[in-house]
Amino acid sequence: MLSHSALTPIHVVLHRTQKRLSMFLALLGDWAAFIGVVLILGLGTSWYMIDIGTPLTTLRQGPWVSWTSAGRPDADPYTRAHFARLGTLQLSAEMTLTYVAFTDSEGRRLYSSCDYSVVGREPAASWWSLTVFDDRGELIANPAQRYAFTSQTIALHPDGSFLVALARDARPGNWLPTGGAGHLALVFTTVDPNTPLLTKPTKEHKPLPEIKRIQCR
Amino acid sequence: MPIDLRERLKKANWQLIIAAPIAAGILHICATLAAPYLTAASAFSRLAPGLPVNKMEVLRDITPGAEPLPFLSPHARYAMCRFDSSAGPVSVSATLPPDPGWMLAVISPQGDNVYAAASTPGREIPIRLVLVPSENDFLGVTPEARGIARNEQPPVPIAATRGIVLVRGPDEGIAYKGKVERQLRQAACSWRPF
Repeated sequence: MLSHSALTPIHVVLHRTQKRLSMFLALLGDWAAFIGVVLILGLGTSWYMIDIGTPLTTLRQGPWVSWTSAGRPDADPYTRAHFARLGTLQLSAEMTLTYVAFTDSEGRRLYSSCDYSVVGREPAASWWSLTVFDDRGELIANPAQRYAFTSQTIALHPDGSFLVALARDARPGNWLPTGGAGHLALVFTTVDPNTPLLTKPTKEHKPLPEIKRIQCR
Repeated sequence: MPIDLRERLKKANWQLIIAAPIAAGILHICATLAAPYLTAASAFSRLAPGLPVNKMEVLRDITPGAEPLPFLSPHARYAMCRFDSSAGPVSVSATLPPDPGWMLAVISPQGDNVYAAASTPGREIPIRLVLVPSENDFLGVTPEARGIARNEQPPVPIAATRGIVLVRGPDEGIAYKGKVERQLRQAACSWRPF
């Protein structure tokens, strides 16, 4: 160790430089942490609220999710951003409610190598449809050219209930082919012109179909 | 409190710690508001290049590989008109038959339904709209606004400069395909003289 008397001007300069450098690095670390926190918090929460949605913007019932302000002129910024990113043309949620499911009723991702049965009761809406897409929103090509059932094309049971089979191979009754699409998305749309205008859809639960996994290959 | 922790808290940069959530909040708001404008493929920007201006066009059947938009259901046939009322008002007319599932919507480039109507069982719904730019100086140019009487029901004026008029006819099965298409072809959208 150098004694005080042994400190030359060059040592003093080096010592000061080292001190300044360590202060600068500490400050840089603080700023790096600050920028990291801001990016993760700011962009992460924005992504979550636009992509996934919260109870403020969506109506969730089992696996079904509906954006309650879709297509409305007074829609919140998250709903606007969600559908702009999705690239879909939304009809007003005042009359049309669109529910999307990417999972079955037990929360497992819908996949084309599994068979599902979609069991429900005809809703009170004047018209409804159930369509299967791949998870990019594209139709699944199939020789039967069948992609959807509507209230006018589905075969109902005498008690007003219905069962739609989602499967790769043909099934008796209401069968929607899933081919080899990979991840699937089910879209359930109801049109209800009797909904009063200028009112948002209520949070009351509507009888939405249950999606049951039967088997996987 | 342990001395080490107390020292650390003393040395912490409290200005940055307090500023972080505020800056994150500002970034959250900016990112959310900017998101619709940062996407290259909104529904309007996808549809607009393929649609003539101020002319109603019945789209082909939606089949795999020929979907104009993601998640556009094939359970319906669609007629669309890309309107631009900046040079003058645009007239829109359509009749929604008394079958369930028919809809007409005027949709802005941002995706807002500035007008929407759905069919009602039991009666036809004739719709006549006149689309005018939102600027006030254009609101007085329609014959109705100038007090010129008409023998027929006056159209509903709607302030919208650009966007898409969508008429949707539901799939009622193969037997009704021709009927749905004929009904869609009756929908009209055209520039209207002052």
